[in-house]
Amino acid sequence: MTPLSDEPLLQAISVLLVEDDAPTSWRLQDALTKAGYQVRAAATLAEAKAGLAQAAPKVLLTDLQLPDGHGIDLIRETRQRFPDTEIMVISILGDEESVISAITVGATGYLLKDAFPTDIAATVRDLVAGHSPISASIARFIVRRTQNNPEPPPGPPLNTAKLTPREIDILWGIAKGFSYAEIAGHLGLSRQTVPGHIKSIYRKLEVHTRGEAVFEAVQQGLIRL
Amino acid sequence: MSEDAAIEAPPGEVRRRLQGSRLLQYVLLQLLIAIACGFILRQPLPAPPENYAVTEFRLRQGDTERSVTLPHFASARSPADDQPTYTGRFTFPAEQPPRAWSIYLPRFTNAAEVAVNGVVVLDTRRDPVANRPDRSTPQIAVIPSALLHGGSNELTIRVLVWGPISAFLDTPYVGPDNVVRPYYDRRALLFVTLPIVFSAWQAILAVILTIMWVMRRHEPAYGMLAAAMAVGVLQAFLSTPLDESRYATLNSIAIASAPLESGLVLAFGILFFGRKWPRWGLIIFAPSVTLAVAGLVGGQASVRSLYLFIGTPTVGLCLVMMALISGNAVLRRQDAASILLGCAVTIVLTSWIHDMLSVLQIVPDRRIFFSRLSYSAMLVAIGAALTWRFARALNQVDSFAGRLVTQVREAEDKLKASFAREEERARAAALARERTRLMRDLHDGLGGQLVSIVALSERGNDASAGIGDAARAALKDLRLVIDSMDDIGGDLMLALGSWRERAMAQLRPHDIELDWQITPPGLPVHPELRPWHVIQIMRLLDEALTNAVKHARARRITVSIETRRDAPDLDQGCITIADDGKGFALAADGAAPAEGAKAGRGLRNMRSRAARCGAGLDLISGAGGTRVRLTLPHRFPDSDANG
Repeated sequence: MTPLSDEPLLQAISVLLVEDDAPTSWRLQDALTKAGYQVRAAATLAEAKAGLAQAAPKVLLTDLQLPDGHGIDLIRETRQRFPDTEIMVISILGDEESVISAITVGATGYLLKDAFPTDIAATVRDLVAGHSPISASIARFIVRRTQNNPEPPPGPPLNTAKLTPREIDILWGIAKGFSYAEIAGHLGLSRQTVPGHIKSIYRKLEVHTRGEAVFEAVQQGLIRL
Repeated sequence: MSEDAAIEAPPGEVRRRLQGSRLLQYVLLQLLIAIACGFILRQPLPAPPENYAVTEFRLRQGDTERSVTLPHFASARSPADDQPTYTGRFTFPAEQPPRAWSIYLPRFTNAAEVAVNGVVVLDTRRDPVANRPDRSTPQIAVIPSALLHGGSNELTIRVLVWGPISAFLDTPYVGPDNVVRPYYDRRALLFVTLPIVFSAWQAILAVILTIMWVMRRHEPAYGMLAAAMAVGVLQAFLSTPLDESRYATLNSIAIASAPLESGLVLAFGILFFGRKWPRWGLIIFAPSVTLAVAGLVGGQASVRSLYLFIGTPTVGLCLVMMALISGNAVLRRQDAASILLGCAVTIVLTSWIHDMLSVLQIVPDRRIFFSRLSYSAMLVAIGAALTWRFARALNQVDSFAGRLVTQVREAEDKLKASFAREEERARAAALARERTRLMRDLHDGLGGQLVSIVALSERGNDASAGIGDAARAALKDLRLVIDSMDDIGGDLMLALGSWRERAMAQLRPHDIELDWQITPPGLPVHPELRPWHVIQIMRLLDEALTNAVKHARARRITVSIETRRDAPDLDQGCITIADDGKGFALAADGAAPAEGAKAGRGLRNMRSRAARCGAGLDLISGAGGTRVRLTLPHRFPDSDANG
């Protein structure tokens, strides 16, 4: 819990930040740089691709709506070319529409644009450590998709077939506002393993086939954003 | 003039006049029918050429012997009387090649034994059909050629009588078989085959009418007619017994069932024309019962003698009654059924009168009885008409059902259309309501915060911290509004999960600890929970939290969630927010706190929000901190009381 002491490790973490709104970009850059990350910023999809071409970042932070394209494409490309890169989507509201869409193409976390600087740094640090963040509303959305409703609730399509009952239990706990410690206590897990489960859940929700109909639907869903 | 008079005349008189004219018309029609019937009945039936007729006979009866000309009525009426024997001669031409000759008896009662040259060639008693005196059965027999010799041959006919009518012998014909037989066949068709056909028909109708009556017990008319037909069929297939056994007695009683049959037909008429069953109704069946009793006590002979004095008049009486009833029905109802039935009764009545005149030998005749034939024909006509009426009623039911199906389908379509319209309207209304709510929620939160941001930004640099707070609050509120619109299936715990995240994000910079305590099973599920309830509760909790952060300077905030059960089946969720801040003093009215106008407004808002959701709000504040307890209603209200 004292990450600032691990200076050399943090120095090695490179972040590619893709955000077209300049003030937001500055704010995030400030927060990350102050925490010791090595940040490269891009304002467009083209710039981001150029940045990727130079060197693979450890972390990719990207907005979805970009002036010359969509963040989803960038996430998918990064995921395919650099499997070790942790990908986070920057969202204004942290709503399921943007977060779930990003997760299905390979993102494993999300960041709220108005988060406090310390929270921004902490979220990125946790992600690198293998701990994916999740909100109650995202957990709720995923859990609801695991229930066999004849009429699926609106929102991006999601294939939850790979989730285990334990993972669904964890999601339920998060949706109801229980802390990781409480969930771990209820389910007989170690508190440390819960965030890892979240990342595993995200990985299972990822759609791997490019031509899959689900993917098309994701894109259509995103156009409405 | 006459028209004027008709109009001015009182309605009763007009009706009487109308009835009178109707009655006259009907009676004239029946008279016409009767005359036509009489005329037809008087028509002689076709007979073989006269040269084959044998008319001159010597009648020997007992000790007396005299010459007679056939047809002849003899006085013998019962087996006790002397049976008449007729002896005559006919000429047989010895022609080449020889043709078969036959003796043809067109009509005789009750039986005849024919001998040619002293050898019996025909005994009608052997043919059961021929033994029924009420049927005009003809007989024919081929004379063995060995018996015949050229020139004059002797023909002896012994007539046998067993009542109830007297002996009769019509002119016999002796001639070539191919000449005589067609006349026999024609008569047999009319008086033997046709009655059998009618009887078979009657049997079928009896079954059909019985089924109709069984299925429609409230229409006993069908039952009566079915019984009449059944009795008719039964007696038609019985033959006259010629011996004296128990069975023979019953048989003769059954044959003498015509009064019963006519009684049943009369009962049918009474019921069919919608008359109330009269109190004397059972008298109709008295003659038939009398006959049966007489038969059981006195045997065949008494049945036969009584039949003539009781049976036949009863039949006639019933027919007259039927004629009156149907005539009355014609006057009252003026429908085809009653007119048809009336005409049929007239025909049968005319036949009956004809037969009576014949039996009583008032009118010279060859004693051919038509009553039975015409009666059977009438029954068949009635039965067929009823069946036709029944089929028509079925058709009407069918078409009615068809119409009903069409109408139901049309109504269904209309209903569907109107339902779709209604659904569309409801959806539009729901959308409009949702928009109004969203607008109000955004106005309450986001709008105010954005205005606050504008105001702060105009003040210059020193307000930048305030701008940040306001903008962050606006985003938080936006998330709240979006979150509250999600379908949480009435589980407030899911909304509280999101709220906890937001609360922790809010408290983190202030370094305030959030202690989250859930007493299983948390809060009860409220299926009636609507987004606007959720938003009110979340805002209420937000305000309690803000008060704790901004005014109470608390270090630790505890949120406890539990379900209280004060009464059985009355679970109430309870959310408590307690802080360890400095608290504040409430004014005496409990509404406004003594210090801090802003906090006061916050409290008022909280009370108002709790009231709108039907929830209870308890607030305790003191030196040890403040505790806000929100008690959720057992059932959330449907509509927003405060608009």
